[in-house]
Amino acid sequence: MSNRLRSLLTVLGIVIGIASVITLLGIGKGAQLEAEKQVQSLGTNLIFIRPGSQSSSSISFGQGTIQTLTYEDALAVKKNCPAVLNIAPQYSSQLQVQYGEKNTLTTINATEPSYTTIRNFNPAQGRFFNDSESREEARVCVLGDTVAADLFGFSDPLKKKILIRGELFDVIGVMEHKGANSAVDMDDQIFIPLSTGYSALFGLSQVTGRTVKSILVEAKPQEDDLAQFQITNLLRFRHHITAPGEDDFTLRTQSDIMQAAQSITGVFSLLLGTTAGISLVVGGIGIMNIMLVSVTERTREIGVRKAIGAKYSQILSQFVIEATVMSLSGGIVGIILGIVCSNALSSFANWKAVVSLDSIFLSFFVSLGIGLFFGIYPARTAAKLDPIVALRSD
Amino acid sequence: MSEFLVELKDVWRTYNQGVEPVHALQGVSLKIKESEYVAIMGTSGSGKSTLMNLLGCLDRPSQGQYLLDGTDISTRSEDELAEIRNKSVGFVFQQFNLLPSMSALDNVMLPLVYAGMGKEQRTMRAEQALKDLGLGNRIHHKPSELSGGQQQRVAIARSIVNRPRILLADEPTGALDSHTAKEIMSLFTKLTEEGITVILVTHDPETAACARRIVKVRDGRILEDLIIGKVQ
Ligand SMILES: Nc1ncnc2c1ncn2[C@@H]1O[C@H](COP(=O)(O)OP(=O)(O)OP(=O)(O)O)[C@@H](O)[C@H]1O
Ligand SMILES: [Mg+2]
Repeated sequence: MSNRLRSLLTVLGIVIGIASVITLLGIGKGAQLEAEKQVQSLGTNLIFIRPGSQSSSSISFGQGTIQTLTYEDALAVKKNCPAVLNIAPQYSSQLQVQYGEKNTLTTINATEPSYTTIRNFNPAQGRFFNDSESREEARVCVLGDTVAADLFGFSDPLKKKILIRGELFDVIGVMEHKGANSAVDMDDQIFIPLSTGYSALFGLSQVTGRTVKSILVEAKPQEDDLAQFQITNLLRFRHHITAPGEDDFTLRTQSDIMQAAQSITGVFSLLLGTTAGISLVVGGIGIMNIMLVSVTERTREIGVRKAIGAKYSQILSQFVIEATVMSLSGGIVGIILGIVCSNALSSFANWKAVVSLDSIFLSFFVSLGIGLFFGIYPARTAAKLDPIVALRSD
Repeated sequence: MSEFLVELKDVWRTYNQGVEPVHALQGVSLKIKESEYVAIMGTSGSGKSTLMNLLGCLDRPSQGQYLLDGTDISTRSEDELAEIRNKSVGFVFQQFNLLPSMSALDNVMLPLVYAGMGKEQRTMRAEQALKDLGLGNRIHHKPSELSGGQQQRVAIARSIVNRPRILLADEPTGALDSHTAKEIMSLFTKLTEEGITVILVTHDPETAACARRIVKVRDGRILEDLIIGKVQ
């Protein structure tokens, strides 16, 4: 029936509106959970110091190409910045690793024992290297979860020896599983003492200059801002940077990272929110329109129903129910479409959309409300019809 | 209660829609007893339909009094009138006025739905009404799948399914051939024998002759009131 097609088209506005609401809430919830997860995985009060200026710090120069940050900088930060609780300098490189027949290319992350507490990332098996091993350039290593599986399969890696770029290292621990964190797979790494890395693998010494690829800083509780201020001033002083010059290092905090994530979701939310709002209103008006048309077309039917004994409320509820059924079915289709959409979108985004039961209930009641709100006027028009006039119409 | 089922006392009905008010009824007084069979005749525009609407409680007099079974209609609210129509009045129209999207059974059940009757009971009642009118094998047909005479019989089934006191038929045979018209008329006779008061509007003297009483209307007034057969 053409009536059915007409109703279907009318309901499209509701479908799009509700689908947007579901997607919006799904993505928003997903982003929020992701942000919380990231904060937990990063540890607390964390500041990253990276070489390179703010403008050049990203893609164009890889992390390794700029060598403005040194191990001495890291020591100075720890020594001279009162708001800093702990630091962990890092130097990393992709190197070939070997155990028996097995071979793999992985990230060698040379750092210090403080790394575990700062990143809240601990060994699941064995232990991390300690300060004395760090001082003595001990040939020990701690494997990431993925590397351990690659090299050892199901056998126990502890107390085995592996070759990193031809150098022998004792495996003393295996890290817990951490999962991928934005760009880096935290489990595809091998940790070694920084001093060992410099002398045995990277060929850097105090004379040639011991550069670092990043310094992780844990600020004292509630003192992130102060710590940033102190670090910035100290490094500017050490690097001889004066007022107009650009910093050759970049500080990033967790809140920076979270803000970036939130600004992306903010744009999404605004876009989808506007779409949702407009489509729902348009859909509602569409329903009102089609109901008014229907009342006009069915005037005679209404007259007959009244002659037979239908009361005001009975005619009213008939048309309100018709409007509500229309908007509710649109809402249900919208909910399904919204779930599909948010799953599709989350495959593009870094996080998983989470369609909660709450948002489904909300959408259900919103579409119910739209049917009631926009259906009540046409229904009243129908219920108020004079039966004689209605019966005479054609 | 009252001796008369229907009692109009000096009823006026004035339409105020146009430039000048139209006095469609001008002082009509009429008394009809239970199970009478009355035909109303008159030229076009004489006020027959207006009178029927009043009798059926679809409308209220502008002036005068209408007592249906002793109760005054003019002071009732819309919803009270709807209830009276539902319980005590049945309508049969020239155009049948069945709802096209519903089956015969659903059409007949509709008054019972509005009366708030349970599904099982109303289905039984509606099926019985259709069977009584010889439509037992057509109950699931849509109006468009039925002949004119069959449609009018469905409409009659719908009008009597609620066991009304009074059945109002405005030109019920106007859209039917003479043979089918006769069938419908004898059906009405049967209904009066069962105690229902039948009032019908017709142009056709032959149709009117089936009734026991003929009321002639002109210019909103009753011109003649003839009793043909014996009313008991
Ligand atoms: N709703 C209305 N508004 C204004 N005038 C009306 C209305 N209904 C009827 N009339 C007028 O009242 C008068 C009586 O009309 P009514 O319909 O009762 O006549 P009728 O006897 O049924 O005629 P017909 O045989 O053609 O059906 C007519 O002059 C008509 O124009
Ligand atoms: Mg008429």
